[in-house]
Amino acid sequence: MLYREVGQYNTSYAQDMAVFPIRQDRVAIALILVIAFLVLPLTASNFFLSSIMIPFLVFALATIGLNLLTGYAGQISLGAGAFMGVGAYACYKLTILFPDVNIILLVLVSGFFAAGIGLVFGIPSLRIKGFYLAVATLAAQFFLEWCFIRIPWLYNYNISGAIEVPTRTMFGVPVVGPAATPTVRYLVVLAIVVLLTWIASNLVRGRVGRSWMMVRDMDIAAELMGIRLLRTKLVAFAVSSFYCGVAGAMMVFFWFGAAEASAFSIRLSFTILFMAIIGGLGSLVGSFFGAAFIWIPPVVLRSVPEAVGFRIAAETVEHLSLMIVGSLIIVVLILEPHGFARLWQIAKQKLRVWPFPY
Amino acid sequence: MLHQIFVAPFVQMATLPDFFLQVLWEGFVGGVLYALIALGFVLIFKASGILNFAQGIMVVFAALALVWLYEIGVPAYIALALCILMMLLLAVGVERLVLRPLVNQPDIILFMATIGLTYFLIGLGEFIFGGEPKVMITRQLGIPTGSFELEAFGGFIIIQQLDVAAAVIAIAMVLVIAVFFNRTKIGRALRAVADDHQAALSVGISLETIWVIVWFTAGVVALVAGIMWGARSNVSFALEIVAFKALPVIILGGLTSIPGAIVGGLIIGIGEKIGEIYWGPLLGSGIENWLAYFIALAFLMFRPQGLFGERIIERV
Amino acid sequence: MSAPETAAAAAQEVLLAVDNISLSFGGVRALRNVGFNIRKGEIRAIIGPNGAGKTSMLNVINGFYHPQQGTITFKGETRRDMRPYIAASQGIARTFQNVALFKGMSTLDNIMSGRTLKMQTHFFWHLLHFGPARREEIAHREVVERIIDFLEIEHIRRTPVGRLPYGLQKRVELARALATEPDLLLLDEPMTGMNVEEKEDMSRFILDTRDQFDTTIALIEHDMAVVMDLSDRVAVLDHGELIADGTPTEVQGNERVIEAYLGVVH
Repeated sequence: MLYREVGQYNTSYAQDMAVFPIRQDRVAIALILVIAFLVLPLTASNFFLSSIMIPFLVFALATIGLNLLTGYAGQISLGAGAFMGVGAYACYKLTILFPDVNIILLVLVSGFFAAGIGLVFGIPSLRIKGFYLAVATLAAQFFLEWCFIRIPWLYNYNISGAIEVPTRTMFGVPVVGPAATPTVRYLVVLAIVVLLTWIASNLVRGRVGRSWMMVRDMDIAAELMGIRLLRTKLVAFAVSSFYCGVAGAMMVFFWFGAAEASAFSIRLSFTILFMAIIGGLGSLVGSFFGAAFIWIPPVVLRSVPEAVGFRIAAETVEHLSLMIVGSLIIVVLILEPHGFARLWQIAKQKLRVWPFPY
Repeated sequence: MLHQIFVAPFVQMATLPDFFLQVLWEGFVGGVLYALIALGFVLIFKASGILNFAQGIMVVFAALALVWLYEIGVPAYIALALCILMMLLLAVGVERLVLRPLVNQPDIILFMATIGLTYFLIGLGEFIFGGEPKVMITRQLGIPTGSFELEAFGGFIIIQQLDVAAAVIAIAMVLVIAVFFNRTKIGRALRAVADDHQAALSVGISLETIWVIVWFTAGVVALVAGIMWGARSNVSFALEIVAFKALPVIILGGLTSIPGAIVGGLIIGIGEKIGEIYWGPLLGSGIENWLAYFIALAFLMFRPQGLFGERIIERV
Repeated sequence: MSAPETAAAAAQEVLLAVDNISLSFGGVRALRNVGFNIRKGEIRAIIGPNGAGKTSMLNVINGFYHPQQGTITFKGETRRDMRPYIAASQGIARTFQNVALFKGMSTLDNIMSGRTLKMQTHFFWHLLHFGPARREEIAHREVVERIIDFLEIEHIRRTPVGRLPYGLQKRVELARALATEPDLLLLDEPMTGMNVEEKEDMSRFILDTRDQFDTTIALIEHDMAVVMDLSDRVAVLDHGELIADGTPTEVQGNERVIEAYLGVVH
């Protein structure tokens, strides 16, 4: 009942192609943006912004990146973590070399470095498919991880091997570095993520997204429609790596504040892959669901024992957390293999006819 | 610089042939053990089309369990028997709780489920067994631990008896499994299931039983691999890395091929060792983390389904 | 054929000619020295018992298979073999025996995918959507809607094609092929699995396609009534060889053809 489209007619193809053709959707998205941009910064605690919202947004962006490659273009990649690392280290070197350039610009530029490397590691996709390709992307993961440790130039010859975020300002306000407040960092991250999500949605509903899905579903038929397979796959790798790179740069500059190579290990790649699958492969909205589901419960889990008054060793919490996340993944996959995006679609369908059952 | 890459290593190999043989031997043993781990992957993939990411952690888990049991006072051989029983229980558990509910889902979903399983086992393992490295109970299990020397090319090669034992056991296991797969009724059922679940069901093959058998076999293989690896280095969760090494082996050999796992294992084992010793100093340490993958990639560019894998033929 | 007919026939331009094509897979010879042509504007049927090599022949024309011997001449250009991309850009479109639709996408998206080669706006504009990319999308959407109208599939526009019944899937596949505005349309068993009404509809669509869009059509089909009614000329393959080539009536009476289908009495 709430969700009925009665009376809403699309009178042009342009309207039909809009991202949110249904008025209720438009209202909902406007509401979410208002809450995100205006309400949260004013009301939420620093903890909420720093430890829940910023990581959630960063992961959501990385998940969108992986989703574009694996969900839309059908190329399984296990190297998302390494590409995030490329973005992070690129951003670090750029800001060390050009300290006066706007840091947000540098974050976006570092995405291009990640895209370039992603392009190179995408070349095997011409010949290799499926699980074979997935394992081949691990070559990228392990090689880049090794580079992060073995190329001291990347971390400015710092003895500890870690990169630390210097303070950078914009309009006089510290945006990154120890002096930047959670609110400022949150707003910047939010703006970047909203912008890049919009761009991703544009790509996905047009010719580019279609060409990716064609390659995913049946590349032989796609070739016959005139798709250049290698070019399409490489574009997917490049765009996906761009998104992961930007997410990685934001992870270090707006969340951690510092990082070492181990932050971009295969654990990170798998975390992003989980988020993409649990959220729903081939769905941008799903990326947000997935990021929320994988990130938020463990954070909550870690703070619950304290809140309730239990004393559990940090290690044990880690172990329990791993076990619970592992089981949850299996459970969600059993209940809805297509992820939360599908559950959301089903929910919307029910909302259309509520309070009637069908 | 070019001289260093293209000439010097070969000169080294030629001038110190006994050392070269030693390196070859080390690579061979490593390769055999990779092959053993890869075998576990291939078994499960052949029978259920799933790339069981948890295979690596099963190796670690089995080894840790064995050592832990011994530490709490269980005699070595009984501990071994208990571990085998544990792998059976694990196989049954996985089949019932993970495989059965996900029976018709696409491969990537099942792959993800095995990653979920991996996380779960890591958490459980660290919780029960603790995180510090342990020492494998090699002697207690009756595995020889001495070494002997061979003279060759005017120098010496040191061969660990353990390594010989590992190689022999691994080869024996592979032969037994290969025969089992190709000559017995159950083996045929396994191959049927690998081809087409629904067709296999329709001729009366019990998917559940087959899967339990396969996962159990893979579990036993994992246990043996864990014992052997653990005997050569310590037993800890760092062993997980070994599992990642097995992945290039299976894509190089072909996901569906048992001989492929062996050949792939040897190529990767030897190739990696040679690369590490002779070219390693050039690039810095740690190249063994990714060298195996690049070796596999190089082969895959020419044979995209691995050396012995089945060609994926698409009909239009 | 009478003299005026042959003259008229000869006057028609040849669009595609395959000459002396031989194709083997390992030890299996799928095609042996097959040669025939397809004239512009005609409906050419390719028939023969199962395993005769009909689909292989289409795959050769299309560029999926590369013959060991022989040439393909399309629009005057002769080639040793074809590539899928070249076939597509030169104006050859195809439907498949086992429907080769993009199962993850809707009907509309599948048909829009046929417009790929006609879409030229640069990647950059697609990042923004508003502007040249959107204008192009709308322009092509109009073309696609006309095809949807033509094939009467408006009601399933948004349905993911994986959920459609087989007959409708075949129609969507035809729509997708038409969206490429082909000069030569290869149809591989377009009527399989259809009942009489559906076959009548499909026949009507095929004829209308030829008449309205000026498309030359090559058609593999098992239903003899359809073949006789629709086609201008028929080529008959058996065990990889061409055993007859002519008008439907000529071919129907050909002894070798009858033997091939019914078997020889021993």
